[in-house]
Amino acid sequence: MNEAMQAKVPVLSAENLSIALPEGGDRPFAVENVSFDVKPNEVVCLVGESGSGKSMIAHAVLSLLPKSIAVASGAVTVARQNPTKLDRRALRRLRGGEAAMIFQEPLSSLNPLKRVGKQIEEMILSHQRPTPSAAEVHERVQQLFTQVGLPNPKLLEKSYPFELSGGQRQRVMIAMAMANRPALLIADEPTTALDVTTQRQILRLIDDLRRDRGMGVLLITHDFGVVADVADRVVVLRHGKVVEQGTVEEVLRHPKEAYTRELIDAVPKARLDDVRHKTIRPESLLEVVGLHKTFRVKRGWLQPPREVVAADGISLTLHEGETLAVVGESGSGKSTLGRMIMRLTEPDGGAIRFNGQDLRQLRGEALRQARKQLQIVFQDPFASLDPRQKVGDAIARGPMAYGTSRAEAMEQAKKLLVRVGLNVVAADRYPHEFSGGQRQRICIARALALKPRVLIADEAVSALDVSVQAQVLALLAELRQEMKLAMIFITHDLRIAAEIADRVIVLRKGRIVEEGATADVFTAPQAAYTRDLLDAIPGRDFFDQPGFASAAGKIPTARMSS
Amino acid sequence: MIRPGSAATVGLMALSRIAQLVAVILVIATFNFVLVRAAPGDPAQVMAGQSGASDPKLLDDLRKEYGLDKPYAVQLASYLGRVITLDLGYSYRQRRAVVDLILERLPATLLLTVTAFCLALLIGTTLGALAGLAAGSVLDTVFTVLSLVLYATPVFWLGLMLVLVFSVTLGWLPPFGYETINVKLSPLERVLDIAQHMIMPVTSLAAIYLAIYARLMRSSIIEVAQQDFIKTARAKGLSGPSIVLGHMLRNALVPVVTVAGMQAGALVGGAVVIETVFAWPGLGRLTFDALLQRDYPVLLGIFLILSIVVIVLNLLTDLIYKLIDPRMTTGAA
Repeated sequence: MNEAMQAKVPVLSAENLSIALPEGGDRPFAVENVSFDVKPNEVVCLVGESGSGKSMIAHAVLSLLPKSIAVASGAVTVARQNPTKLDRRALRRLRGGEAAMIFQEPLSSLNPLKRVGKQIEEMILSHQRPTPSAAEVHERVQQLFTQVGLPNPKLLEKSYPFELSGGQRQRVMIAMAMANRPALLIADEPTTALDVTTQRQILRLIDDLRRDRGMGVLLITHDFGVVADVADRVVVLRHGKVVEQGTVEEVLRHPKEAYTRELIDAVPKARLDDVRHKTIRPESLLEVVGLHKTFRVKRGWLQPPREVVAADGISLTLHEGETLAVVGESGSGKSTLGRMIMRLTEPDGGAIRFNGQDLRQLRGEALRQARKQLQIVFQDPFASLDPRQKVGDAIARGPMAYGTSRAEAMEQAKKLLVRVGLNVVAADRYPHEFSGGQRQRICIARALALKPRVLIADEAVSALDVSVQAQVLALLAELRQEMKLAMIFITHDLRIAAEIADRVIVLRKGRIVEEGATADVFTAPQAAYTRDLLDAIPGRDFFDQPGFASAAGKIPTARMSS
Repeated sequence: MIRPGSAATVGLMALSRIAQLVAVILVIATFNFVLVRAAPGDPAQVMAGQSGASDPKLLDDLRKEYGLDKPYAVQLASYLGRVITLDLGYSYRQRRAVVDLILERLPATLLLTVTAFCLALLIGTTLGALAGLAAGSVLDTVFTVLSLVLYATPVFWLGLMLVLVFSVTLGWLPPFGYETINVKLSPLERVLDIAQHMIMPVTSLAAIYLAIYARLMRSSIIEVAQQDFIKTARAKGLSGPSIVLGHMLRNALVPVVTVAGMQAGALVGGAVVIETVFAWPGLGRLTFDALLQRDYPVLLGIFLILSIVVIVLNLLTDLIYKLIDPRMTTGAA
């Protein structure tokens, strides 16, 4: 970054910003004494775990905070204006005019009942004066679609959000944000809901647009890989306070604070070339042979049903005590595979052999006995526990269903709770009293109560903060040793797979594109698709190389469609 | 590619639903036929009894004449054939064709129910939207209490109270009937006269539905207001009214349309009570009278016609639903 640019007035500056929470919360301020600047043509990352207040700051910039939450002291200055002091009309000019915002979940951020072209037109019409003609607006929308790399703008502008892919939706959001050439783009976890390859494309797009227009970007993220790839400067937040800030190089390479260090260390398997080597014991425990599954989605009359192939001849073997990672992007069929092995989803064809029996042939009591040995932990620890059932009951019900007395099952449940790092008294509490990480521990205890031989973890740590994620992964690794568990670890995060797995299977559209020992897959991938996935992991340049390479300017310019 | 929400897809939808509709009507007609046969006695006995000479010879002749000696399957086929051509039989009580009786009464009932339905929907959703937008305010509380009171009020009681206040005490409105009889009126005066007669029955009939739609719209608006795309709209710098009109209303209407469609049929049922209270010469009254007089052909005819009305209303709801929400045509939502 040159000196002339440094000297420019920041497009956004926060000075001693404090945002008050309503009384009776766990802390008086969501954000306390936060100061930072975003200069033109600069990407500043706000990074922190959930509850750090990073989203609050982003919302305060456009005065979008909920009614009960207000800026208590300090100020935000956006394009020389203080949004809290503006009248309604000036605030509307600021929102979407000088500063635009994109959000985490592009599907819910777009009106589902309005064509995307119309939603962008609205952005132009509400800001530009004199009001441009319909033809001018239309042309501008087409231009924007082209700029954000959306194919076939003519067809696309007539589409509804649900007809687009996740990446296309986020591109529409970006096109909308760019409509009035804002000086500042606020991106609140813009790629968290996207696949890794799409994430890379979107980050590149934001970076390209930033460069073309000299726009300042405030990027909110929890992912240090993303920070390493795109940020010029970083602000690390914890409990609403700035832990440290500086250039990417300073903060990531030479963190001053222990907390920053912890966060960086918690990134699973930062060095991808350094993965576990383990000799696999030959006894196979679970064998899946030629599994097929096609979902048919009914459409309108006269239209053929839409077919989604979730499994197209999947065969795999899981050995005793082995951890097998199944990785793939959304829609690759990885969760369906887990559910089919559990017989929660019925396959169309193929066989699942477990312990010498074909699970697909089992009925009634035999199936019940077999199921006990296969247990699953789901992604969302909030949705997978019954909110009206005490934690102890949730764990004890399984063994009780197989004949253990209630007293004995509760005793076991308490032991398990202690084993997964919780307190005995947790048994008498309800799930809502626990944090996400604690709930996931409860889910693990629940699965282990039946002493399974195979544990299927379906994105079991994906919803957790990075430091909590590291703890849960460590717990699973310990339990695997202790209980001689074989694990199928389903994940979209390749770093997690590298961290925990002995072997890896890469799925794409229901087919296995690559299979092998973790070390082989990560250091010498055979399939082009695997290489794409690996390349797309954010922060590779930073984490993989011993010498630091500045992230700025490292991202090749490419506009790909998703 | 056929675009979801386009006229072509909705047109195809309509065709497929009309085919289903005909099938459903035939099933209902079959059911009706079985009901008639399950009832003791047969039409021949009724007719012979009415003519006052029930000797076996006459019965046999009548049975032969009306095809009652043929197997049930053949009788069913010819009955369904008659239903298709809208031949619903003959009322011996009223000495008229059932079709004529029904067609004569249908307009009055439709006028009453359609007006009540539209008013309930329009006023209900408007009040509900206002209350939802101002959730927690005094206005919201007043609307909520009001709609709860309306919801809890029995339809006939409300009707009687209206008559008591506006006709008996104040004398502002005619207490019953469809129009003033034995008076010469110009066409415009006649319309106004009918409208005046309609005020109280429509109000009584609409009240409960108005309350339901208001409650529903209120919670729907509150829910939509919390959606991410409303935050997007605010971040775009749109004004309050354009957020409400451009983004909230249509989304909030989706659940209201669903419920309104399901209840439109029930509205006709509610009309039976109201038409009795206000001596309104519609299908409701006809049903009530036919029930008391055990006039089976009329009852069966009314049931069939009402089923058709309900099916058509459901079809309309589905089509409207698909026009509002493009996701419905592909089952993607």
